[in-house]
Amino acid sequence: MNVLQAGLAGALGGSLFALMALGLSLTWGFLKVINLAHFGLILLGSYLTFELATSTPLGPLNTLLVTIPVLCVLGAAIHLAYERFEVSELSSLLVSYGLLIILVQVVHNIWSADFRRMDASVNPYATRSISLGDLSFPLPTLLAAGFGLVLVVLVGTIINRTYAGRALRAFGQDREIASAFGIDHRLIGVVLAGVAGATAAIAGMLFALRGTITPDAAFEWVGLVFAIVILGGIGNVAGTFYAGLLVGAVSGVVASFWTPSHSPLVVFSMVVLALVFRPEGLFPRRAGRH
Amino acid sequence: MLGVTDLDVFYGDAQALWDVSMNVDEGEVVAIVGSNGAGKSTFVNAVMGINRARRGSIIFEGVELTNLAGHRTCRQGIAIVPEGRRLFPFLSVQENLDLGAFNREARRHHHESLAWVHELFPRLSERRDQLAGTLSGGEQQMVAIGRALMARPRLLLMDEPSLGLAPVIVDEVFERIERVRAEGVSVVLVEQNVKRALDISARAYVLAEGRIVQQGSAAELAASPEVVAALLGV
Amino acid sequence: MKGGKGWIPLAAIALSIGILPWLRELTGFPASYLVLLSAVLFWTAQATSWNILSGYSGYFSFGQGAFYGVGVYALAVLVGRHGQSWWLGLLLGGVAGLVLALVIGTIAFRLRSLRGEIFALLTLAIPFILSAIARVTDSIDGGQGIILPVPEYPDFFGPFQQFIFWLSGAVAVLALVIAYGMVETRYGWALFAIHDDEAVAEGLGVPTFRHKMIAIAANGLIAGLSGAVSALQVGFISPEGTFNLRVPLFVIVMSVLGGRLFWAGPAVGALYVVTLQNRLAGGFEGWSLIILGAVLVLLVLFAPEGIMARFVRRPWTIVAVAAGVLAALALYGEWGDPVSWFALALGSAAVVALLPAGTIAGRRTASPSSRLGSALADPGEPETSSPGIGKTLVEAGEVTRRFGGIHALRGVSMRLSEGELVGLVGPNGSGKTTLVNLLSGALRPTSGSITVDGVDIVDMAPHQIVHQGIARTYQIPRPFNSLTVKDNVVVAIMFGREPRGLAASRQAAAEYLALVGLSDLGDVRPGGINLHERQLLEMARAMATRPRILLLDEALAGLNPVEIDNAVAVVRRIHRSGVSIVLVEHLLRVVNQLATRIVVLDQGRLLAEGDPATVMQNPAVVSAYLGSEAHARRD
Repeated sequence: MNVLQAGLAGALGGSLFALMALGLSLTWGFLKVINLAHFGLILLGSYLTFELATSTPLGPLNTLLVTIPVLCVLGAAIHLAYERFEVSELSSLLVSYGLLIILVQVVHNIWSADFRRMDASVNPYATRSISLGDLSFPLPTLLAAGFGLVLVVLVGTIINRTYAGRALRAFGQDREIASAFGIDHRLIGVVLAGVAGATAAIAGMLFALRGTITPDAAFEWVGLVFAIVILGGIGNVAGTFYAGLLVGAVSGVVASFWTPSHSPLVVFSMVVLALVFRPEGLFPRRAGRH
Repeated sequence: MLGVTDLDVFYGDAQALWDVSMNVDEGEVVAIVGSNGAGKSTFVNAVMGINRARRGSIIFEGVELTNLAGHRTCRQGIAIVPEGRRLFPFLSVQENLDLGAFNREARRHHHESLAWVHELFPRLSERRDQLAGTLSGGEQQMVAIGRALMARPRLLLMDEPSLGLAPVIVDEVFERIERVRAEGVSVVLVEQNVKRALDISARAYVLAEGRIVQQGSAAELAASPEVVAALLGV
Repeated sequence: MKGGKGWIPLAAIALSIGILPWLRELTGFPASYLVLLSAVLFWTAQATSWNILSGYSGYFSFGQGAFYGVGVYALAVLVGRHGQSWWLGLLLGGVAGLVLALVIGTIAFRLRSLRGEIFALLTLAIPFILSAIARVTDSIDGGQGIILPVPEYPDFFGPFQQFIFWLSGAVAVLALVIAYGMVETRYGWALFAIHDDEAVAEGLGVPTFRHKMIAIAANGLIAGLSGAVSALQVGFISPEGTFNLRVPLFVIVMSVLGGRLFWAGPAVGALYVVTLQNRLAGGFEGWSLIILGAVLVLLVLFAPEGIMARFVRRPWTIVAVAAGVLAALALYGEWGDPVSWFALALGSAAVVALLPAGTIAGRRTASPSSRLGSALADPGEPETSSPGIGKTLVEAGEVTRRFGGIHALRGVSMRLSEGELVGLVGPNGSGKTTLVNLLSGALRPTSGSITVDGVDIVDMAPHQIVHQGIARTYQIPRPFNSLTVKDNVVVAIMFGREPRGLAASRQAAAEYLALVGLSDLGDVRPGGINLHERQLLEMARAMATRPRILLLDEALAGLNPVEIDNAVAVVRRIHRSGVSIVLVEHLLRVVNQLATRIVVLDQGRLLAEGDPATVMQNPAVVSAYLGSEAHARRD
């Protein structure tokens, strides 16, 4: 029972990281940009949530009304800059590394390096949990899983079922020809980067909901989120979500068998093995689709 | 309908086309023939806006297309069947066709276009849910032509539609090109298979080393020993 | 990567590090300067070692923290837990870094699917694994950290900070000596070639796997040693403090800032970053990382080659400006302290360096017509007689190559004898380039045999095939873009069939440039020459490997008629020098002009072969080119 609880709780927690990975995976898979600045946007999302929830009567969930548009625009703007300078996949890694350093430091300068946490009066979610028989799950991780599931289904449906999604996939497979059939690459890039920015806002809000936030968290996410992107398959929406659940569940189970310190050992060994043996990800896309 | 004057196209600093001028009239099939490396694909890609022209002009139905971005050219009523098909391999046949009709005007006529494409290539309706990358070469060529027709073009650019296909399939493809033309679509047909191309065209241009070296009615050129010489290098 | 007189500054640096502590006693400058300088030296070692792998060879690594970290922990465990001496700890630190590097290299560089991003991500994951291992293993760390007492060291070294300064200096000098030594020998040049185009490097005889292993080994060894020294200095070791993103972040910023293609680039970057951080420490901490981040972004976008690339264009102006600013501030003496003067001098040097340069190095000199003339004139060359046909050199038997379900080649047999020039022709997609790729080892046949002078080459790596005497050119020229035209040829000589050292290769290069008529363009970068010249460079480079067989893959594609005639003259000259040639070409008039024999492929099969005149009359060939009439239909 202990292991089951640990695995399920871990999987739910992993869905938050899957949400973080979603935006990164989308822009990497379809726009060929490895955008480390995404972590900066998530961090900014967390702190904006903290600030707005603390200083206005909005409440933590409603801060999304502000943070989604802000990060959407910021994400799109950063992408336009990448387009303007025609950065390659590898140099996008360097440029966005620079942007990440700047964003983290800006957050640091505004809110200081201290741990911040929303007061229990504004954030009633942090301490609550929901019990299911012997199992008990903290509300923030349930919310993360809920948001993750909704977003993955939503984004997945858009990509797989809609005209725009088809255009996006076509664009990811052959840019020139997609363009020759009327698909505007600039529009697609801006929209997708905007969507990635919006997912950053949601992930940031959920992270703030969970408890304490610090500027250095952005750097701590990098490893785990990349692990999920790679395990899930770059640009594979559903795969990213499964990988998040898997990484979370494995971490939880490993932690309950040994110690939490053992989890990165197992998770990152999985990443190395995945890179060596299955660089296309653990979850192959379905072949036939209607 | 389409008028190209003094077109120069470069790849980096390598010049691929010199002073190419040609025109296409409404409802005709015009062939562009030449050995490989002569610049045929470069030419159609320049018309489509995939390659940029450094000099010269491309005018289609009175609209200046020179260096218009690819996604704009398509809205003017031109579609391409690219060399090597270049389908979206991880999309289904149906999705490939749907994307052909991406621009707003074409999307409005989606149903009629699809019916027409399915009538031309009945096999595509059987294969609609199969991934395009898993089709045979001939079927892929049909999807590529179908995709272009979904855009409801008035001018169709076809780049080497017979390449790598078995002779029987080539027959089928060429027969479809004639049917497409019969519907009033003008066609620029780029082909290595000179005899076949001249067979269904009204007029033709011969490209060699990036320049037009011969032009005239298809029948004339088919009989000309110079054309054979230009193509065989003898 | 320009070297030559690098030993002078290296010796000067080593000497200054040696005598600085005594100088300090004489002039009485504060010990804090020693701390600052130790930091510069530490980062010099780290960044330089990173740059040997990631800058020289282009395999971008986020794993610097792993090499650094195992060095730190090797010393910490040995000295802190087991009470061993500091020098044993240093030794183990270096060895640990080296072993880790070899393990990572053996796995990563053997991967078929390895691309730059995969390598970067692989190296990103390693520090997390090591950190977790340290945390959960009680005999290493166990989560409570390791406290290191100040070690016992000989009195000769003076105060502890001075001891650390010397150790850091020794490791930094070692790093610079290795980085510079590589630039001056084949080891570095192999990496530059890999950086620009790994497949081409392999195809010119560079054993790429071996050289990548050497690079990652150097990276691991130095980073481990330097990590061990820093462990001594820090005194308290924890997994969080060791395996974080600080080290990988800083080495990348420093190397990009200084210039990744220069041996001294990372050191210059380290000097700038450490000085900047030191100056911003007084109240501006919040800005230092923002400035560093912005510098990284702006440099990658606008000056991706780094400060050193600008320095070498006008070194004396820049040194003069820096020295002038330093002297002026020192004489005035009313403002700031010496470190501030120095920082300002560095800043002004950077500003001068980054100003748009008046002349860009490596532009073309001679006019196009004169260059073409030189190749065409060909004085005193015998007009007649190709070399006679000799024994069989290459024999391909029933070679088949499939890509998935597609047969690119189906059972093609052909042979090439000494002195022949075989024209390989056929329509698009007939398998010509596939055949070239099989002969050069870029691809392996699905079935069939290929021998060169009786030696089976099917299982050989491309660089081994070069040593059997086969060289090739690429249809779209693939020069090493960061090397000059001459140095492109130099690489081929250094790793070809009769390898030579750098100096000898540099002397020999002129001969090959003259062979193709590029003598005037030796100092130009490939970006500054036109397509025709790049194709000639392809030929010069292939010839520099001293092949017996040259494979020319559409060496005339995209040329104008004058250039084609010139290229034909060059091919003819190469043929007369006794090299057998396989010429893949679309322009049949050229093939007819040059070839002693023609082989026609169609749809992966051998369609015809024989002398040019006969083959081009063959009805099957005519219809392959023009399309058959048999299927023509009329409605």
